[in-house]
Amino acid sequence: MAAPVPWACCAVLAAATAVVYTQRHSPQEAPHVQYERLGSDVTLPCGTANWDAAVTWRVNGTDLAPDLLNGSQLVLRGLELGHSGLYACFHRDSWHLRHQVLLHVGLPPREPVLSCRSNTYPKGFYCSWHLPTPTYIPNIFNVTVLHGSKIMVCEKDPALKNRCHIRYMHLFSTIKYKVSISVSNALGHNATAITFDEFTIVKPDPPENVVARPVPSNPRRLEVTWQTPSTWPDPESFPLKFFLRYRPLILDQWQHVELSDGTAHTITDAYAGKEYIIQVAAKDNEIGTWSDWSVAAHATPWTEEPRHLTTEAQAAETTTSTTSSLAPPPTTKICDPGELGSGGGPSAPFLVSVPITLALAAAAATASSLTI
Amino acid sequence: DSWGMLACLCTVLWHLPAVPALNRTGDPGPGPSIQKTYDLTRYLEHQLRSLAGTYLNYLGPPFNEPDFNPPRLGAETLPRATVDLEVWRSLNDRLRLTQNYEAYSHLLCYLRGLNRQAATAELRRSLAHFCTSLQGLLGSIAGVMAALGYPLPQPLPGTEPTWTPGPAHSDFLQKMDDFWLLKELQTWLWRSAKDFNRLKKKMQPPAAAVTLHLGAHGF
Repeated sequence: MAAPVPWACCAVLAAATAVVYTQRHSPQEAPHVQYERLGSDVTLPCGTANWDAAVTWRVNGTDLAPDLLNGSQLVLRGLELGHSGLYACFHRDSWHLRHQVLLHVGLPPREPVLSCRSNTYPKGFYCSWHLPTPTYIPNIFNVTVLHGSKIMVCEKDPALKNRCHIRYMHLFSTIKYKVSISVSNALGHNATAITFDEFTIVKPDPPENVVARPVPSNPRRLEVTWQTPSTWPDPESFPLKFFLRYRPLILDQWQHVELSDGTAHTITDAYAGKEYIIQVAAKDNEIGTWSDWSVAAHATPWTEEPRHLTTEAQAAETTTSTTSSLAPPPTTKICDPGELGSGGGPSAPFLVSVPITLALAAAAATASSLTI
Repeated sequence: DSWGMLACLCTVLWHLPAVPALNRTGDPGPGPSIQKTYDLTRYLEHQLRSLAGTYLNYLGPPFNEPDFNPPRLGAETLPRATVDLEVWRSLNDRLRLTQNYEAYSHLLCYLRGLNRQAATAELRRSLAHFCTSLQGLLGSIAGVMAALGYPLPQPLPGTEPTWTPGPAHSDFLQKMDDFWLLKELQTWLWRSAKDFNRLKKKMQPPAAAVTLHLGAHGF
Protein backbone atom coordinates (compact mmCIF):
# COMPACT_ATOMS: atom_id res chain seq x y z
CA MET A 1 0.00 0.00 0.00
CA ALA A 2 2.81 2.37 0.63
CA ALA A 3 4.35 2.15 -2.82
CA PRO A 4 1.38 3.00 -5.09
CA VAL A 5 0.19 5.90 -2.85
CA PRO A 6 3.32 8.00 -3.17
CA TRP A 7 3.39 7.39 -6.91
CA ALA A 8 -0.27 8.38 -7.36
CA CYS A 9 0.28 11.32 -5.10
CA CYS A 10 3.15 12.49 -7.24
CA ALA A 11 1.10 12.11 -10.39
CA VAL A 12 -1.79 14.11 -9.00
CA LEU A 13 0.54 16.75 -7.69
CA ALA A 14 2.27 16.99 -11.04
CA ALA A 15 -1.02 17.28 -12.87
CA ALA A 16 -2.34 19.91 -10.49
CA THR A 17 0.84 21.95 -10.83
CA ALA A 18 0.59 21.68 -14.59
CA VAL A 19 -3.00 22.88 -14.55
CA VAL A 20 -2.22 25.76 -12.24
CA TYR A 21 0.83 26.66 -14.29
CA THR A 22 -0.99 26.72 -17.60
CA GLN A 23 -3.93 28.57 -16.14
CA ARG A 24 -1.67 31.13 -14.54
CA HIS A 25 0.53 31.57 -17.57
CA SER A 26 -1.91 30.95 -20.35
CA PRO A 27 -1.74 33.71 -22.97
CA GLN A 28 -3.66 36.62 -21.49
CA GLU A 29 -4.49 39.86 -23.10
CA ALA A 30 -1.82 42.43 -22.32
CA PRO A 31 -2.57 44.44 -19.16
CA HIS A 32 -5.03 47.20 -19.73
CA VAL A 33 -3.26 50.53 -19.26
CA GLN A 34 -5.22 53.08 -17.29
CA TYR A 35 -4.45 56.65 -16.27
CA GLU A 36 -6.23 58.18 -13.32
CA ARG A 37 -6.08 61.56 -11.68
CA LEU A 38 -4.27 62.10 -8.41
CA GLY A 39 -6.75 62.44 -5.56
CA SER A 40 -9.66 60.91 -7.41
CA ASP A 41 -11.48 57.64 -6.73
CA VAL A 42 -11.42 54.75 -9.16
CA THR A 43 -13.28 51.45 -9.41
CA LEU A 44 -11.48 48.68 -11.27
CA PRO A 45 -13.75 45.93 -12.55
CA CYS A 46 -12.31 42.47 -12.82
CA GLY A 47 -12.53 42.28 -16.57
CA THR A 48 -15.77 40.69 -17.65
CA ALA A 49 -16.39 38.89 -14.36
CA ASN A 50 -19.80 39.19 -12.76
CA TRP A 51 -20.17 41.57 -9.91
CA ASP A 52 -20.68 38.75 -7.49
CA ALA A 53 -17.78 36.62 -8.76
CA ALA A 54 -15.34 35.49 -6.10
CA VAL A 55 -12.00 37.12 -6.91
CA THR A 56 -8.83 38.15 -5.23
CA TRP A 57 -6.93 41.26 -6.20
CA ARG A 58 -3.23 41.71 -6.07
CA VAL A 59 -1.02 44.72 -6.74
CA ASN A 60 2.53 44.07 -7.94
CA GLY A 61 2.23 40.58 -6.56
CA THR A 62 0.99 41.58 -3.10
CA ASP A 63 -2.49 40.60 -1.95
CA LEU A 64 -4.96 43.36 -1.32
CA ALA A 65 -7.31 43.38 1.65
CA PRO A 66 -10.83 42.26 0.81
CA ASP A 67 -12.34 45.36 2.45
CA LEU A 68 -11.29 47.28 -0.66
CA LEU A 69 -13.61 45.19 -2.77
CA ASN A 70 -17.07 46.04 -3.90
CA GLY A 71 -18.16 42.66 -5.12
CA SER A 72 -15.52 41.71 -7.64
CA GLN A 73 -14.48 45.29 -8.26
CA LEU A 74 -11.56 46.95 -6.60
CA VAL A 75 -12.26 50.40 -5.21
CA LEU A 76 -9.42 52.81 -4.62
CA ARG A 77 -10.17 56.10 -2.95
CA GLY A 78 -8.05 59.24 -2.86
CA LEU A 79 -5.45 58.04 -5.34
CA GLU A 80 -1.87 58.76 -4.43
CA LEU A 81 1.25 58.32 -6.51
CA GLY A 82 2.01 55.15 -4.58
CA HIS A 83 -1.12 53.58 -6.02
CA SER A 84 0.51 53.27 -9.41
CA GLY A 85 1.27 49.69 -10.26
CA LEU A 86 0.15 46.46 -11.87
CA TYR A 87 -3.22 45.30 -10.50
CA ALA A 88 -4.35 41.78 -11.17
CA CYS A 89 -7.51 39.94 -10.21
CA PHE A 90 -7.67 36.21 -9.85
CA HIS A 91 -10.52 33.78 -9.59
CA ARG A 92 -10.43 33.03 -5.89
CA ASP A 93 -10.52 29.28 -6.05
CA SER A 94 -8.75 28.40 -9.25
CA TRP A 95 -6.26 31.23 -9.16
CA HIS A 96 -7.04 31.83 -12.77
CA LEU A 97 -5.88 35.24 -13.81
CA ARG A 98 -8.92 37.13 -15.01
CA HIS A 99 -7.69 40.63 -15.67
CA GLN A 100 -4.72 42.96 -15.32
CA VAL A 101 -4.62 46.74 -15.10
CA LEU A 102 -1.49 48.81 -15.26
CA LEU A 103 -2.53 51.88 -13.30
CA HIS A 104 -0.71 55.21 -13.61
CA VAL A 105 -1.68 57.97 -11.23
CA GLY A 106 -0.95 61.46 -12.49
CA LEU A 107 -2.25 64.92 -13.29
CA PRO A 108 -3.38 66.77 -16.38
CA PRO A 109 -0.77 69.31 -17.55
CA ARG A 110 -0.84 72.91 -16.31
CA GLU A 111 -0.10 75.74 -18.69
CA PRO A 112 3.46 75.22 -19.99
CA VAL A 113 6.14 77.84 -19.55
CA LEU A 114 7.63 78.84 -22.91
CA SER A 115 10.53 81.14 -23.62
CA CYS A 116 12.61 81.94 -26.69
CA ARG A 117 16.04 83.44 -26.97
CA SER A 118 18.59 84.27 -29.61
CA ASN A 119 22.16 83.74 -28.43
CA THR A 120 23.34 83.17 -32.00
CA TYR A 121 22.05 86.33 -33.69
CA PRO A 122 21.72 86.64 -36.66
CA LYS A 123 21.75 82.90 -37.28
CA GLY A 124 18.63 81.99 -35.38
CA PHE A 125 16.95 81.46 -32.05
CA TYR A 126 15.77 78.64 -29.85
CA CYS A 127 12.72 78.06 -27.71
CA SER A 128 12.52 76.00 -24.57
CA TRP A 129 9.62 74.94 -22.45
CA HIS A 130 8.75 73.10 -19.30
CA LEU A 131 5.77 72.39 -17.11
CA PRO A 132 5.53 74.35 -13.88
CA THR A 133 4.48 71.23 -11.95
CA PRO A 134 5.08 67.56 -12.82
CA THR A 135 2.32 65.36 -14.18
CA TYR A 136 3.99 62.04 -13.28
CA ILE A 137 2.80 60.53 -16.54
CA PRO A 138 4.16 60.87 -20.08
CA ASN A 139 3.47 64.18 -21.89
CA ILE A 140 3.63 65.03 -25.57
CA PHE A 141 4.64 68.56 -26.63
CA ASN A 142 3.94 70.13 -29.98
CA VAL A 143 5.60 73.40 -31.00
CA THR A 144 4.63 75.58 -33.94
CA VAL A 145 6.41 78.73 -35.07
CA LEU A 146 4.71 81.32 -37.24
CA HIS A 147 6.32 84.31 -38.87
CA GLY A 148 3.31 86.29 -40.03
CA SER A 149 1.48 83.62 -41.95
CA LYS A 150 4.55 81.56 -42.78
CA ILE A 151 5.16 78.37 -40.81
CA MET A 152 8.77 77.90 -39.77
CA VAL A 153 10.50 74.67 -38.91
CA CYS A 154 11.65 74.22 -35.33
CA GLU A 155 14.36 71.58 -35.29
CA LYS A 156 14.61 69.45 -32.19
CA ASP A 157 17.72 69.90 -30.12
CA PRO A 158 19.88 66.77 -30.34
CA ALA A 159 20.59 66.75 -26.63
CA LEU A 160 17.77 68.50 -24.80
CA LYS A 161 14.28 67.20 -25.29
CA ASN A 162 12.50 70.40 -24.31
CA ARG A 163 14.21 72.68 -26.80
CA CYS A 164 14.06 73.33 -30.52
CA HIS A 165 15.90 75.65 -32.92
CA ILE A 166 14.70 78.03 -35.61
CA ARG A 167 16.83 79.57 -38.31
CA TYR A 168 16.23 83.17 -39.35
CA MET A 169 15.36 83.50 -43.00
CA HIS A 170 15.26 87.27 -43.05
CA LEU A 171 16.73 89.94 -40.88
CA PHE A 172 15.22 93.25 -39.81
CA SER A 173 11.68 92.01 -40.08
CA THR A 174 8.74 94.13 -38.93
CA ILE A 175 6.57 91.08 -38.58
CA LYS A 176 6.45 89.41 -35.20
CA TYR A 177 7.15 85.77 -34.51
CA LYS A 178 4.50 83.70 -32.77
CA VAL A 179 5.52 80.50 -31.03
CA SER A 180 2.76 78.23 -29.77
CA ILE A 181 3.09 75.11 -27.71
CA SER A 182 0.52 72.51 -26.79
CA VAL A 183 1.03 69.76 -24.26
CA SER A 184 -1.19 66.76 -23.75
CA ASN A 185 -1.28 63.57 -21.76
CA ALA A 186 -3.88 60.93 -21.00
CA LEU A 187 -5.61 63.15 -18.47
CA GLY A 188 -5.84 66.46 -20.31
CA HIS A 189 -4.11 69.07 -22.34
CA ASN A 190 -3.01 72.68 -22.20
CA ALA A 191 -1.36 75.28 -24.40
CA THR A 192 0.24 78.69 -24.50
CA ALA A 193 1.80 81.05 -27.02
CA ILE A 194 4.21 83.98 -27.07
CA THR A 195 4.68 86.73 -29.64
CA PHE A 196 7.82 88.80 -30.06
CA ASP A 197 9.84 90.96 -32.40
CA GLU A 198 13.10 89.64 -33.81
CA PHE A 199 15.31 91.97 -31.84
CA THR A 200 13.71 91.68 -28.40
CA ILE A 201 14.83 88.11 -27.73
CA VAL A 202 18.52 88.68 -28.47
CA LYS A 203 20.62 87.72 -25.44
CA PRO A 204 24.17 86.51 -25.91
CA ASP A 205 25.87 83.88 -23.81
CA PRO A 206 28.22 85.24 -21.12
CA PRO A 207 31.79 86.10 -22.08
CA GLU A 208 34.23 83.22 -21.82
CA ASN A 209 37.59 82.71 -20.25
CA VAL A 210 37.53 85.70 -17.91
CA VAL A 211 40.97 86.05 -16.43
CA ALA A 212 42.13 88.65 -13.92
CA ARG A 213 45.78 89.22 -13.22
CA PRO A 214 47.68 91.53 -10.90
CA VAL A 215 49.87 94.12 -12.57
CA PRO A 216 53.46 93.94 -11.33
CA SER A 217 54.56 96.95 -9.30
CA ASN A 218 51.04 98.36 -9.29
CA PRO A 219 49.27 97.67 -6.02
CA ARG A 220 45.97 99.18 -7.12
CA ARG A 221 45.61 97.62 -10.55
CA LEU A 222 44.12 94.47 -11.93
CA GLU A 223 44.19 93.51 -15.57
CA VAL A 224 41.08 91.72 -16.81
CA THR A 225 40.77 89.93 -20.14
CA TRP A 226 37.96 87.84 -21.66
CA GLN A 227 36.68 86.47 -24.92
CA THR A 228 33.46 86.97 -26.81
CA PRO A 229 31.14 83.98 -26.34
CA SER A 230 31.90 81.27 -28.87
CA THR A 231 28.22 80.88 -29.72
CA TRP A 232 28.00 84.45 -31.10
CA PRO A 233 28.54 83.78 -34.79
CA ASP A 234 29.58 87.13 -36.21
CA PRO A 235 31.17 89.59 -33.77
CA GLU A 236 32.53 91.61 -36.69
CA SER A 237 29.19 92.59 -38.14
CA PHE A 238 27.29 92.35 -34.88
CA PRO A 239 29.70 93.63 -32.28
CA LEU A 240 29.16 93.14 -28.59
CA LYS A 241 29.63 95.60 -25.81
CA PHE A 242 30.59 94.53 -22.33
CA PHE A 243 29.78 95.29 -18.73
CA LEU A 244 32.33 94.60 -16.06
CA ARG A 245 31.61 94.40 -12.35
CA TYR A 246 34.10 93.93 -9.56
CA ARG A 247 34.34 94.16 -5.80
CA PRO A 248 36.64 93.04 -3.05
CA LEU A 249 35.38 89.85 -1.44
CA ILE A 250 34.97 91.60 1.87
CA LEU A 251 32.52 94.20 0.53
CA ASP A 252 29.02 93.80 -0.93
CA GLN A 253 28.99 96.83 -3.21
CA TRP A 254 29.94 96.25 -6.87
CA GLN A 255 31.77 98.71 -9.07
CA HIS A 256 30.62 98.80 -12.68
CA VAL A 257 32.27 99.69 -15.94
CA GLU A 258 30.63 99.62 -19.36
CA LEU A 259 32.95 99.05 -22.30
CA SER A 260 31.88 99.65 -25.86
CA ASP A 261 34.57 97.54 -27.44
CA GLY A 262 37.67 95.55 -26.72
CA THR A 263 38.00 92.48 -24.57
CA ALA A 264 40.34 93.82 -21.93
CA HIS A 265 40.20 96.37 -19.16
CA THR A 266 42.49 97.50 -16.38
CA ILE A 267 40.97 98.25 -13.02
CA THR A 268 42.89 101.12 -11.48
CA ASP A 269 41.12 101.69 -8.19
CA ALA A 270 41.47 98.35 -6.48
CA TYR A 271 42.09 98.27 -2.76
CA ALA A 272 45.64 97.20 -2.15
CA GLY A 273 46.09 93.65 -0.99
CA LYS A 274 42.42 92.68 -1.12
CA GLU A 275 41.16 89.72 -3.10
CA TYR A 276 38.73 90.73 -5.82
CA ILE A 277 35.91 88.97 -7.58
CA ILE A 278 35.31 90.07 -11.18
CA GLN A 279 32.56 89.24 -13.67
CA VAL A 280 31.75 90.31 -17.21
CA ALA A 281 28.49 90.38 -19.19
CA ALA A 282 27.88 90.95 -22.91
CA LYS A 283 25.19 92.58 -25.03
CA ASP A 284 24.69 93.32 -28.68
CA ASN A 285 25.56 96.95 -29.26
CA GLU A 286 22.05 98.00 -30.20
CA ILE A 287 19.47 95.32 -29.53
CA GLY A 288 18.33 92.80 -26.98
CA THR A 289 19.34 92.30 -23.37
CA TRP A 290 22.47 91.69 -21.35
CA SER A 291 23.82 88.18 -21.00
CA ASP A 292 24.06 86.47 -17.64
CA TRP A 293 27.21 87.21 -15.67
CA SER A 294 30.26 85.19 -16.61
CA VAL A 295 32.01 82.73 -14.34
CA ALA A 296 33.80 84.84 -11.73
CA ALA A 297 37.51 85.50 -11.84
CA HIS A 298 39.46 86.09 -8.68
CA ALA A 299 42.63 88.08 -8.26
CA THR A 300 44.53 90.10 -5.73
CA PRO A 301 46.51 93.16 -6.76
CA TRP A 302 50.27 93.00 -6.56
CA THR A 303 51.66 93.72 -3.13
CA GLU A 304 55.18 94.16 -1.87
CA GLU A 305 54.45 93.31 1.75
CA PRO A 306 55.34 89.79 2.83
CA ARG A 307 52.53 87.57 3.90
CA HIS A 308 54.04 85.68 6.86
CA LEU A 309 55.12 88.25 9.43
CA THR A 310 54.59 85.76 12.29
CA THR A 311 56.92 83.22 10.72
CA GLU A 312 59.59 85.86 10.58
CA ALA A 313 59.13 86.73 14.25
CA GLN A 314 59.55 83.11 15.31
CA ALA A 315 62.52 82.67 13.07
CA ALA A 316 64.21 85.69 14.63
CA GLU A 317 64.13 84.01 18.03
CA THR A 318 65.49 80.69 16.90
CA THR A 319 68.04 81.59 14.26
CA THR A 320 70.83 84.00 14.04
CA SER A 321 69.40 85.61 10.98
CA THR A 322 70.18 89.24 10.65
CA THR A 323 66.76 90.29 9.49
CA SER A 324 64.77 92.49 11.84
CA SER A 325 62.27 90.57 13.93
CA LEU A 326 59.20 92.32 15.23
CA ALA A 327 59.60 95.71 13.66
CA PRO A 328 57.07 96.55 10.91
CA PRO A 329 58.44 95.95 7.45
CA PRO A 330 60.52 98.93 6.38
CA THR A 331 60.30 100.25 2.89
CA THR A 332 64.00 100.42 2.34
CA LYS A 333 65.93 97.44 1.22
CA ILE A 334 67.45 95.18 3.84
CA CYS A 335 70.15 92.88 2.73
CA ASP A 336 70.05 89.25 3.78
CA PRO A 337 73.64 88.03 3.95
CA GLY A 338 72.42 84.51 3.36
CA GLU A 339 71.06 85.54 0.04
CA LEU A 340 74.27 87.23 -0.95
CA GLY A 341 76.26 84.15 -0.08
CA SER A 342 74.21 81.87 -2.25
CA GLY A 343 75.67 83.51 -5.33
CA GLY A 344 72.37 84.74 -6.76
CA GLY A 345 70.85 81.34 -7.33
CA PRO A 346 67.17 81.23 -8.16
CA SER A 347 66.15 79.33 -5.04
CA ALA A 348 65.76 81.05 -1.70
CA PRO A 349 67.77 79.06 0.85
CA PHE A 350 66.71 81.22 3.78
CA LEU A 351 62.97 80.81 3.61
CA VAL A 352 62.82 80.71 7.38
CA SER A 353 64.28 84.14 7.75
CA VAL A 354 61.97 85.68 5.10
CA PRO A 355 63.67 88.89 4.21
CA ILE A 356 61.27 91.81 4.22
CA THR A 357 62.02 93.06 0.78
CA LEU A 358 61.93 89.66 -0.81
CA ALA A 359 59.82 90.93 -3.63
CA LEU A 360 62.31 93.59 -4.63
CA ALA A 361 65.15 91.12 -4.30
CA ALA A 362 63.27 88.68 -6.41
CA ALA A 363 62.73 91.27 -9.05
CA ALA A 364 66.40 91.99 -9.06
CA ALA A 365 67.43 88.34 -9.15
CA THR A 366 64.58 87.31 -11.43
CA ALA A 367 63.76 84.54 -9.02
CA SER A 368 60.40 83.56 -10.40
CA SER A 369 60.32 80.43 -8.31
CA LEU A 370 60.71 82.30 -5.05
CA THR A 371 58.12 81.26 -2.55
CA ILE A 372 56.85 83.05 0.49
CA ASP B 1 -3.97 101.10 -50.99
CA SER B 2 -3.55 104.46 -49.44
CA TRP B 3 0.19 104.73 -49.77
CA GLY B 4 0.10 104.40 -53.49
CA MET B 5 -2.51 107.08 -53.69
CA LEU B 6 -1.12 109.32 -51.06
CA ALA B 7 2.17 110.29 -52.66
CA CYS B 8 3.94 113.19 -51.14
CA LEU B 9 5.22 116.45 -52.24
CA CYS B 10 8.86 116.05 -51.43
CA THR B 11 10.62 118.56 -53.57
CA VAL B 12 12.77 119.68 -50.68
CA LEU B 13 14.30 116.26 -50.37
CA TRP B 14 14.80 115.38 -53.97
CA HIS B 15 16.46 118.65 -54.66
CA LEU B 16 18.87 118.41 -51.80
CA PRO B 17 21.89 120.47 -52.82
CA ALA B 18 24.72 118.14 -53.78
CA VAL B 19 27.21 118.03 -50.94
CA PRO B 20 30.58 119.03 -52.36
CA ALA B 21 33.18 116.28 -52.19
CA LEU B 22 35.49 116.79 -49.26
CA ASN B 23 39.00 117.95 -49.91
CA ARG B 24 40.87 114.69 -50.10
CA THR B 25 44.25 115.84 -48.97
CA GLY B 26 44.70 115.60 -45.25
CA ASP B 27 41.12 114.86 -44.32
CA PRO B 28 40.46 112.02 -41.91
CA GLY B 29 38.33 110.13 -44.39
CA PRO B 30 34.67 109.25 -44.01
CA GLY B 31 35.32 107.51 -40.69
CA PRO B 32 34.18 110.35 -38.42
CA SER B 33 31.08 111.06 -40.49
CA ILE B 34 30.16 107.36 -40.48
CA GLN B 35 30.50 107.45 -36.72
CA LYS B 36 28.34 110.55 -36.60
CA THR B 37 25.71 108.89 -38.79
CA TYR B 38 25.76 105.85 -36.53
CA ASP B 39 25.30 108.05 -33.48
CA LEU B 40 22.40 109.82 -35.19
CA THR B 41 20.60 106.55 -35.84
CA ARG B 42 20.89 105.70 -32.14
CA TYR B 43 19.62 109.12 -31.14
CA LEU B 44 16.71 108.88 -33.54
CA GLU B 45 15.83 105.40 -32.36
CA HIS B 46 15.69 106.70 -28.84
CA GLN B 47 13.54 109.64 -29.91
CA LEU B 48 11.24 107.40 -31.88
CA ARG B 49 10.57 105.21 -28.89
CA SER B 50 8.79 107.97 -26.99
CA LEU B 51 7.20 109.42 -30.12
CA ALA B 52 5.80 106.06 -31.22
CA GLY B 53 4.46 105.36 -27.73
CA THR B 54 2.61 108.65 -27.69
CA TYR B 55 1.33 108.29 -31.23
CA LEU B 56 0.09 104.73 -30.78
CA ASN B 57 -1.74 105.74 -27.63
CA TYR B 58 -3.34 108.49 -29.68
CA LEU B 59 -4.45 105.89 -32.24
CA GLY B 60 -5.86 103.87 -29.38
CA PRO B 61 -6.38 100.11 -29.08
CA PRO B 62 -5.51 97.72 -30.59
CA PHE B 63 -2.57 99.71 -32.01
CA ASN B 64 -1.05 100.44 -28.63
CA GLU B 65 -1.28 96.87 -27.36
CA PRO B 66 2.10 95.17 -27.02
CA ASP B 67 0.98 91.90 -28.61
CA PHE B 68 -0.69 93.55 -31.58
CA ASN B 69 0.44 91.43 -34.49
CA PRO B 70 -1.56 92.29 -37.62
CA PRO B 71 -0.87 90.86 -41.06
CA ARG B 72 1.05 93.20 -43.32
CA LEU B 73 -1.65 94.38 -45.68
CA GLY B 74 -1.50 97.58 -47.60
CA ALA B 75 1.44 99.87 -46.95
CA GLU B 76 2.97 98.39 -50.09
CA THR B 77 5.07 101.37 -50.97
CA LEU B 78 6.75 101.69 -47.60
CA PRO B 79 10.44 100.90 -47.92
CA ARG B 80 11.05 97.60 -46.20
CA ALA B 81 14.07 97.04 -44.02
CA THR B 82 13.77 93.28 -44.10
CA VAL B 83 16.38 91.53 -46.18
CA ASP B 84 17.88 88.08 -46.60
CA LEU B 85 20.87 87.59 -44.29
CA GLU B 86 23.38 86.71 -47.00
CA VAL B 87 22.17 89.46 -49.30
CA TRP B 88 22.55 91.98 -46.48
CA ARG B 89 25.99 90.76 -45.60
CA SER B 90 27.25 90.96 -49.13
CA LEU B 91 25.84 94.40 -49.99
CA ASN B 92 28.54 96.62 -51.37
CA ASP B 93 29.05 99.94 -49.62
CA ARG B 94 27.41 101.99 -52.30
CA LEU B 95 24.27 99.89 -52.35
CA ARG B 96 24.13 99.79 -48.60
CA LEU B 97 24.29 103.56 -48.36
CA THR B 98 21.87 104.06 -51.24
CA GLN B 99 19.27 101.81 -49.71
CA ASN B 100 19.50 103.71 -46.44
CA TYR B 101 19.26 107.06 -48.17
CA GLU B 102 16.28 106.11 -50.29
CA ALA B 103 14.47 104.51 -47.40
CA TYR B 104 14.73 107.55 -45.16
CA SER B 105 13.78 109.87 -47.99
CA HIS B 106 10.51 108.03 -48.41
CA LEU B 107 9.93 107.59 -44.71
CA LEU B 108 10.46 111.29 -44.07
CA CYS B 109 7.96 112.07 -46.76
CA TYR B 110 5.32 109.86 -45.23
CA LEU B 111 6.04 111.20 -41.79
CA ARG B 112 5.40 114.72 -43.00
CA GLY B 113 2.04 113.48 -44.27
CA LEU B 114 1.34 112.10 -40.84
CA ASN B 115 2.18 115.41 -39.31
CA ARG B 116 -0.41 117.14 -41.44
CA GLN B 117 -3.18 114.97 -40.09
CA ALA B 118 -2.12 114.73 -36.47
CA ALA B 119 -4.84 115.90 -34.16
CA THR B 120 -3.11 117.43 -31.18
CA ALA B 121 -0.61 120.26 -31.20
CA GLU B 122 1.73 118.32 -28.96
CA LEU B 123 1.83 115.44 -31.41
CA ARG B 124 2.49 117.81 -34.26
CA ARG B 125 5.36 119.33 -32.30
CA SER B 126 6.91 115.95 -31.55
CA LEU B 127 6.52 114.82 -35.13
CA ALA B 128 8.01 118.04 -36.46
CA HIS B 129 10.97 117.65 -34.14
CA PHE B 130 11.48 114.10 -35.28
CA CYS B 131 11.22 115.09 -38.93
CA THR B 132 13.96 117.64 -38.39
CA SER B 133 16.20 115.03 -36.81
CA LEU B 134 15.45 112.61 -39.62
CA GLN B 135 16.36 115.31 -42.12
CA GLY B 136 19.66 115.59 -40.26
CA LEU B 137 20.25 111.88 -40.66
CA LEU B 138 19.61 112.13 -44.37
CA GLY B 139 22.13 114.93 -44.64
CA SER B 140 24.64 112.86 -42.73
CA ILE B 141 24.20 109.87 -45.04
CA ALA B 142 24.54 112.18 -48.02
CA GLY B 143 27.79 113.44 -46.54
CA VAL B 144 29.19 109.93 -46.21
CA MET B 145 28.21 109.09 -49.77
CA ALA B 146 29.85 112.23 -51.07
CA ALA B 147 33.02 111.54 -49.08
CA LEU B 148 33.19 108.12 -50.68
CA GLY B 149 32.47 109.53 -54.10
CA TYR B 150 29.05 107.97 -54.59
CA PRO B 151 26.36 109.97 -56.35
CA LEU B 152 23.18 110.68 -54.47
CA PRO B 153 20.24 108.68 -55.79
CA GLN B 154 18.12 110.87 -58.01
CA PRO B 155 14.49 110.15 -58.74
CA LEU B 156 13.79 108.81 -62.20
CA PRO B 157 12.10 111.34 -64.45
CA GLY B 158 8.36 111.06 -64.16
CA THR B 159 8.37 109.33 -60.82
CA GLU B 160 8.91 112.43 -58.77
CA PRO B 161 6.36 112.09 -56.00
CA THR B 162 3.62 114.68 -56.05
CA TRP B 163 0.69 115.15 -53.82
CA THR B 164 -2.52 113.60 -55.03
CA PRO B 165 -5.29 113.36 -52.51
CA GLY B 166 -6.46 109.79 -52.61
CA PRO B 167 -9.96 108.45 -52.20
CA ALA B 168 -11.19 108.58 -48.65
CA HIS B 169 -10.74 105.24 -46.97
CA SER B 170 -11.67 104.00 -43.59
CA ASP B 171 -10.30 105.52 -40.47
CA PHE B 172 -9.11 102.10 -39.36
CA LEU B 173 -7.10 101.49 -42.52
CA GLN B 174 -5.48 104.88 -42.15
CA LYS B 175 -4.46 103.98 -38.63
CA MET B 176 -3.06 100.69 -39.86
CA ASP B 177 -0.90 102.59 -42.33
CA ASP B 178 0.33 104.85 -39.54
CA PHE B 179 1.15 101.80 -37.45
CA TRP B 180 3.22 100.24 -40.23
CA LEU B 181 5.00 103.51 -40.92
CA LEU B 182 6.18 103.75 -37.34
CA LYS B 183 7.10 100.08 -37.27
CA GLU B 184 9.10 100.33 -40.46
CA LEU B 185 10.84 103.46 -39.21
CA GLN B 186 11.86 101.71 -36.02
CA THR B 187 13.17 98.71 -37.93
CA TRP B 188 15.10 100.85 -40.40
CA LEU B 189 16.81 102.75 -37.61
CA TRP B 190 17.84 99.56 -36.00
CA ARG B 191 19.05 98.16 -39.32
CA SER B 192 20.94 101.37 -40.10
CA ALA B 193 22.87 101.05 -36.85
CA LYS B 194 24.05 97.65 -38.07
CA ASP B 195 24.71 99.00 -41.57
CA PHE B 196 26.87 101.84 -40.31
CA ASN B 197 28.63 99.56 -37.88
CA ARG B 198 29.59 97.40 -40.82
CA LEU B 199 30.75 100.41 -42.79
CA LYS B 200 32.75 101.61 -39.83
CA LYS B 201 34.52 98.27 -39.53
CA LYS B 202 35.30 98.26 -43.23
CA MET B 203 36.76 101.73 -43.10
CA GLN B 204 39.16 100.83 -40.31
CA PRO B 205 41.95 101.62 -40.09
CA PRO B 206 41.15 105.12 -41.36
CA ALA B 207 43.54 104.88 -44.26
CA ALA B 208 44.07 107.61 -46.83
CA ALA B 209 40.83 108.60 -48.49
CA VAL B 210 42.37 108.06 -51.90
CA THR B 211 42.87 104.36 -51.33
CA LEU B 212 39.36 104.15 -49.97
CA HIS B 213 38.04 105.74 -53.09
CA LEU B 214 39.86 103.25 -55.28
CA GLY B 215 38.83 100.34 -53.16
CA ALA B 216 35.18 101.35 -53.03
CA HIS B 217 34.49 100.32 -56.58
CA GLY B 218 35.92 96.92 -56.02
CA PHE B 219 33.36 95.75 -53.51
